[in-house]
Amino acid sequence: MGNRSDKPMNPLELLAYVLAKEIKDHEVVYIGTGLPMVAGILARKTHAPNIVLVYESGAQDPMEGGMPWSVGGPATWRKSPLILEMSYSFGQIYNGYVDKAFLGFAQIDMYGNVNTHMIGKDFLKPDHRLTGSGGNNDLSSLAENMILVGLQSPQKFVPRVDFITSPGFIDGGDSRQKAGLLGKGPVTVITQAAVFDFEPETKRMRVKSLHPGVSFDLCQLACGFELVKPAGDIPVTEVPSKEILEIIRNDVDPRGVFTSIPGM
Amino acid sequence: MGKFSFNEEAVKNLKITDTSVLERLIDFEHARKWHLSKDRSRKDKRMSLKEAVAEYVHDNDIMTDGGFCYVRTSIQSYFEVIRQQKKNLQFCSSPNTNHSYMINAGCARYSHNSYLGAEMRGIDRNYTRQLKAGKVTILSEWSHGTMAQGFKAAQLGLPGVFSKQLLGSDMIKYNPYVKVMQNPMRSDPDPVAYIPAIYPDVSIIHVHAADKKGNARFFGPAINDIAMAAATRKLIITAEEIVPESDIRNNNKGVSIPAMYVDAVVELPYGAVPGQMPGCYYWSRQWWEMAFRFGMKSDENFQKFLDYWVFGVKDQYEFIEKLGGSKWIAESRRLTKAEEYDNEDEGVDFNYEEFQGDWPEDITKMKFY
Repeated sequence: MGNRSDKPMNPLELLAYVLAKEIKDHEVVYIGTGLPMVAGILARKTHAPNIVLVYESGAQDPMEGGMPWSVGGPATWRKSPLILEMSYSFGQIYNGYVDKAFLGFAQIDMYGNVNTHMIGKDFLKPDHRLTGSGGNNDLSSLAENMILVGLQSPQKFVPRVDFITSPGFIDGGDSRQKAGLLGKGPVTVITQAAVFDFEPETKRMRVKSLHPGVSFDLCQLACGFELVKPAGDIPVTEVPSKEILEIIRNDVDPRGVFTSIPGM
Repeated sequence: MGKFSFNEEAVKNLKITDTSVLERLIDFEHARKWHLSKDRSRKDKRMSLKEAVAEYVHDNDIMTDGGFCYVRTSIQSYFEVIRQQKKNLQFCSSPNTNHSYMINAGCARYSHNSYLGAEMRGIDRNYTRQLKAGKVTILSEWSHGTMAQGFKAAQLGLPGVFSKQLLGSDMIKYNPYVKVMQNPMRSDPDPVAYIPAIYPDVSIIHVHAADKKGNARFFGPAINDIAMAAATRKLIITAEEIVPESDIRNNNKGVSIPAMYVDAVVELPYGAVPGQMPGCYYWSRQWWEMAFRFGMKSDENFQKFLDYWVFGVKDQYEFIEKLGGSKWIAESRRLTKAEEYDNEDEGVDFNYEEFQGDWPEDITKMKFY
């Protein structure tokens, strides 16, 4: 990974920055493993120093510092005022104490349904068995605002996920509400190509902003279903300043575990 | 006709032909009777790990994976379960990380899953392979939150709880224990998921300190361990150190597990190695990378991995010798204290050489801290 300071911004660094920008200061945010952790730590080191981070292990509100190696590890509970249990930490979301939840996906579909269970047709004999839910389903069922992050490709952005681990808007329209789920559902999806939201009536995924150098057509090419194109000009995603890039590289993810790309 | 009414769609989808395999997990009467028959005497319950596993972990038991993947998890005890070649275990945990390698060893046969793998270490390719080969059978799919609710319901003494999780997901179609119902206290449509209290057969929980009767104390995230300790039929406590009862009584501010739940107390320093133990030692990051990047690639690789790390040692001390001995202990204590901000040393360096994927030419020269 070496010295990254003279290299131009890569798509994963942009992604981490866009994700972090979703967090406002003083919010309580629930953090899943991987890129969401980068965003949480970055937000805390930059524009949102007063946020409270909550993790599924029961860990919460750690003192600010480096990246956790695990959502149960010491970096998620160092000098915490209180460390709870798994059932309690999900109870905090149900009861309305968590503003935003950040999670990843292996597959996502046009209605924001997420799959982290398996790739294939047969659940009992899958091509690839993945992690399963972890806290993914709990957060998507309960969170007021669900923000999803992951890499975009036609294999990952599919018309219908192979398995609904975490319901987004299920079949669109009011089907999420009818299923009895809480919160607004997925409000934002962030990838290396664009930021998406959902069209209010149909609940289909819609482009909100395109990252620099990405056209709508290119974004559509990297997607396995038809994206909704918003009316008018599509804004270009704001990119991180040189200072923020330095913070990502030196303070947040110095080992480049999440934000470096081989060869870039 | 048995006494349970399982979610029939899930039973069908999971191709479970004999539902008796599902029963004990939610058989409250059986668990209550078991708890009523436990030895109440305030006796010294100490024994060796070998004795505890031999006496309390039986073939066909429903066993749990405590802690969180590799945080305060009883990994050295699982290795003993492997060495004693226990068979046909069901694993019911959230996360359910460590039962994967126990399938290869012939110990684990059934999964009640909420999470497989070890976060960014990678996908558990081994589990996919064992699943396809028919060496493991999935009995139920949960989210972290709903399995936690099942354990918590047992701890609180409830038949079950109504949850707002799992609704609209495909897990409802693959969990025989969960049913969607109308909230009885609402007049408008309000679907809820009924989550039953769950009762495992045996749990092994690793703690910082315990007295000889089993009163136990730990710190850091509790995950599900307090609820699990209350629910499980048989409980083995393994402890970094055994302390006098007066120490527990005089320092009763921490999280604790009461002796009445406990069947066996094992003094087991480094019982969570190669995982992390709050205040005591850090993960061996290279070990986990080796498990995922080398071990999980093929059955042959995993056998080599198990032969070296599990069958090739008799206890945790020999395991630590392979990690680097007392130097490993000192370095990993320094790392965990630094990450917990219990160490003023600004110079602690978290950089390390990642394990790349091939078994090293001379593994005794490899650094595991």
